[in-house]
Amino acid sequence: MRTVLLASLRTHTRRYGAALLAIVVGVVFIVVTAALSSAVRTGLTAGLSAPYDGADAVLDQPSTEDAVRLVASAPAADADAWLVGWTLQQVAHDGRVVRSSTDIGQVPDRPDHQWQELEEGRFPAAAGEALVDVNAAKVAKLEVGDTLRIGSGPAGLDVEVVGLADSPSAFSVASVYLLWSDLSRWADSLYVSSVAWAGPGGGGEAATAIREVVPAAEVLSVDRFVQRVQTEVNQGVDVVAIIVLVFAAIALLVAVLVINNTFTILFAQRSRDFALLRCVGATRRQVVRSVRAESLVLGVLASVIGVAGGLGLGHGLVALIRSQWPGARLGEASVSAGWILAATAVGLGVTMVAAWLPTRRVLAVSPLAALRPDDSTQVRTRTGRVRIALGAAMVLAGAAGLAVAIATAAPPALVAGGATAFVGVLLLGPVLVPAMIRSAGRVAARALGPAGRLAAGNAVRNPRRTAATAASLLIGVTLTTAVLTGMASSRTALSAEMDEQHPIDIALTGADTIPADAVERIAAVDGVDGTTTVIGASAEVSGLDPIPVIAAPGEAADGVVHSPLPAPGRRQVLLPWDVLGDGVEVGDMVTVTVGERRVRLRVAGGEGWGTAALVSNATLERLAPTARVQAVWVRAEEGADAEDLAGSLEAIAVPLDAGLENGLARRSYVDQQLDVLTGGVVGLLAISVVIALVGIANTLGLSVLERGREHALLRALGLTRRQLRRMLATEAVLLAGVATVVGTGLGTVFAWAGVQALVVPAIDGAGLVLPWAQLGLVVVAAAAAGLVAAVLPARRASRIAPAAGLAVE
Amino acid sequence: MTSLQTATPPQPSPPTPAASARGLLRTYGQGDTLVTALRGVDLDLPSGRFTAIMGPSGSGKSTLMHCLAGLDQPTEGSISVAGQSLEGMSDDALTRFRRDHVGFVFQAFNLLPMLTAEQNIWLPTELAGRPRPALQDRFDHVVETLGLTGRLTHRPSELSGGQQQRVAIARALLTGPAIVFADEPTGNLDSTSSAEVLSLLRGSVRELGQTVVMVTHELDAAAYADDVVVLADGLVTHHLAAPSRDALVAALAERAA
Ligand SMILES: Nc1ncnc2c1ncn2[C@@H]1O[C@H](COP(=O)(O)OP(=O)(O)OP(=O)(O)O)[C@@H](O)[C@H]1O
Ligand SMILES: [Mg+2]
Repeated sequence: MRTVLLASLRTHTRRYGAALLAIVVGVVFIVVTAALSSAVRTGLTAGLSAPYDGADAVLDQPSTEDAVRLVASAPAADADAWLVGWTLQQVAHDGRVVRSSTDIGQVPDRPDHQWQELEEGRFPAAAGEALVDVNAAKVAKLEVGDTLRIGSGPAGLDVEVVGLADSPSAFSVASVYLLWSDLSRWADSLYVSSVAWAGPGGGGEAATAIREVVPAAEVLSVDRFVQRVQTEVNQGVDVVAIIVLVFAAIALLVAVLVINNTFTILFAQRSRDFALLRCVGATRRQVVRSVRAESLVLGVLASVIGVAGGLGLGHGLVALIRSQWPGARLGEASVSAGWILAATAVGLGVTMVAAWLPTRRVLAVSPLAALRPDDSTQVRTRTGRVRIALGAAMVLAGAAGLAVAIATAAPPALVAGGATAFVGVLLLGPVLVPAMIRSAGRVAARALGPAGRLAAGNAVRNPRRTAATAASLLIGVTLTTAVLTGMASSRTALSAEMDEQHPIDIALTGADTIPADAVERIAAVDGVDGTTTVIGASAEVSGLDPIPVIAAPGEAADGVVHSPLPAPGRRQVLLPWDVLGDGVEVGDMVTVTVGERRVRLRVAGGEGWGTAALVSNATLERLAPTARVQAVWVRAEEGADAEDLAGSLEAIAVPLDAGLENGLARRSYVDQQLDVLTGGVVGLLAISVVIALVGIANTLGLSVLERGREHALLRALGLTRRQLRRMLATEAVLLAGVATVVGTGLGTVFAWAGVQALVVPAIDGAGLVLPWAQLGLVVVAAAAAGLVAAVLPARRASRIAPAAGLAVE
Repeated sequence: MTSLQTATPPQPSPPTPAASARGLLRTYGQGDTLVTALRGVDLDLPSGRFTAIMGPSGSGKSTLMHCLAGLDQPTEGSISVAGQSLEGMSDDALTRFRRDHVGFVFQAFNLLPMLTAEQNIWLPTELAGRPRPALQDRFDHVVETLGLTGRLTHRPSELSGGQQQRVAIARALLTGPAIVFADEPTGNLDSTSSAEVLSLLRGSVRELGQTVVMVTHELDAAAYADDVVVLADGLVTHHLAAPSRDALVAALAERAA
């Protein structure tokens, strides 16, 4: 049997090409995931302890208040304390906003604790000096000697860049570092990851000293702290790797369908060979063993190519990212032997599993089949009633599962219900898909004439094969649609929420009255859609720094604000959350003073209108009868760039000593996060779609081989080359198109269930939103890809001269 | 026996032959693997007659037929069919030529498995984009003559071999082509079905004035033909008009001698 095996491998290798490609892509996916996750892991865990060098103890994730108190109390205890933490502030350079929310961290005061790795210039030595991250500086084109304005309005601070530095660890990196004396002005808005403490007496005393300030503190040694972070990083990377591997599993599932289809078709074509072998004395076991050996060889080959390709691609990708985007902080890639073994095993396993059923069918080939006339082109498998019944039952059970999920908002029921219904649809495929292709084929026949009619006939000739080919594409398209629709729905729901949180795109609030010409200039800025002026006055609120008091413009603001602002009562003042907390709390009574007039008001919290106290019009009337323009609220044009707009407005605001609140930037940040998430998921799903398209090209290519005589006959009878090509292309497009339409339909249903089960309970007023443009793109792209998939087989088929085709036996 | 080659047929032959070939050369491969299937064939096939092409296996019968039918391009030489020269025709022109002027019946695999008998018969008309109604009467007549009336909705897999060949003949005759080529149309059939198919072919010549060229191995089949062309080793050795069985056997045996 070895000669048979070798000979058939030699003759059929090319036909295994697509199956090989499908497995290779799956294996590459796994290996690249391993390479990237290892690079992320080493990148994240590198230099973890560096920021704490010289510290005796570390306080892990203290509250901002505790952290600030600890840092402030250190000098009194003859110790040094520095924090790893950030405040997000706008940074401007030369009146241009570099970034509206830049992370600002601390550089320790004492040179022996300054953990940043200086690359240029020197460390800050006095207030008004800053250290800038070297990568951030490169992106923003900043240099030593530049002056930055950090923050906005009266609280803004001008600093000089005195040095550029890199961070030893991904967990301590900030874009700009300031000394505590400068950073402390934003102490309230700091997010603190840890505080390092270096006292006169070493570890034990450090703990005591820290507990004196923060009694309940959990004080860790530097080693313990680093260990803890390391564990967290590993777990985090593992979670991400597992999520990515789920997509790899989906891709491999699609690969299984493609390989299974390849084997089924090839074995059907070769059933006469097998029968002949049986006739000349091969036992059933010998035939099956030789066929299994073939799939084994394929699996080994694919795994080896996949692992090699994956290692190359993974290392190349990591090297590329490291050289092009050092800010991404990737480490060296290293794929462990375990991963390589696992990827190889998966590649092999997938091949063997996919080949199992078709090889079992080979078992059933009787020697007599060799003597019967060739009927391989007339296979008409009947769909068993059992299969239909099972499929229908699963669709119903899945629908019930989805209903339960919607009723109880339970994600597991959602996943189980969705998966069950999906498998049910796949089982119904051999009935469903051909029926749909037949109706779509009628349209094709009308549009394309005989070529279209023949294509429709060909596409449904072998229902099971058609269904399996469509299924592979169906998986990717369904998931992509579900993700796109789910994301669009959540985004719409979120955007309603954002409207409430950030009703104003950009609020420019002056310390003093804003002159009329400035208001005009603001309205004329590029990207400004509309403005409204807000009257108010400079005021004092007892217990707080001076803060302007304003009254919401009411109807005049329609079209500028995204949603109405909260209306303060007559005896109420609304203060932004970030000025509350220090001495003044919600519910307190405060005295608001403007000039000589004062009122007592009760404090409530809110946000979204900038740094100002919001009162009712009546209250403002009492406080400042001659109130003038204190703030300008800006509505940005659709699609305006938040940073650019803020930059232009900042240029107007700085001379007025006015502050900006950039709701648009927060909004775009959330949008961008969702975009990245959607893009990432769709990108990962795209891999399985690509495999499915390889599968369509494959099915078509193999069918073309199988139908060589038929095509020759058609050509003899007068089908032109173009018509033949068009016929094959139509077949592929029908197949891809129907799979895509079914997939988009299913995906939309699943997304609807998902939105009902997960988004509606979380966000009021959420509902299904169909991203028509994106869905349209999916359908068009899949149909176009079907067309592309047909190019090669169609070219090959049309090149064969009719006489040569007739000779094919 | 060479005198027989130029023997004149009993009836006067029409002025233009249905198909003719001059200096037809067809080689396959090159160098060591060069095979010459046809080595300079000159042939005129008279119109309105049933011609059989005979010869030993590998003598070039199929190759000759493929060249004459515009399915294959000769390496050298000229061919004209129905008064048109096939030389220099593009693939598309050849295709259009075939669907307008040529009908085919092959030994096996004549029909598209996914189409019904009726759809198979209409296929060339449909490919040519011709209107059906003009041919409806002819269709009814052909189908009735061939005894296919009750079988039109069946697929090829539901038809016997003889029925499949009859469907193929119906398809070839429907458009009234200038010439019908049949490559061993009875090769797969039992003797009864063979006789049926051959009489149908002969009937189409007698009754419809069709020109039919048939490649065959069987003396019995050749007996239905008006003329017999004998091929040996890529050359026409005899072109016999209504030969007797003995004359035919002698002509075929000649090369072996
Ligand atoms: N595609 C090809 N490549 C190479 N040689 C070929 C090809 N087709 C035919 N031949 C050769 O050309 C010669 C004539 O072949 P052809 O098929 O015309 O013979 P035939 O008379 O029809 O034989 P048969 O009666 O067996 O069908 C043979 O020697 C054959 O080997
Ligand atoms: Mg032949």
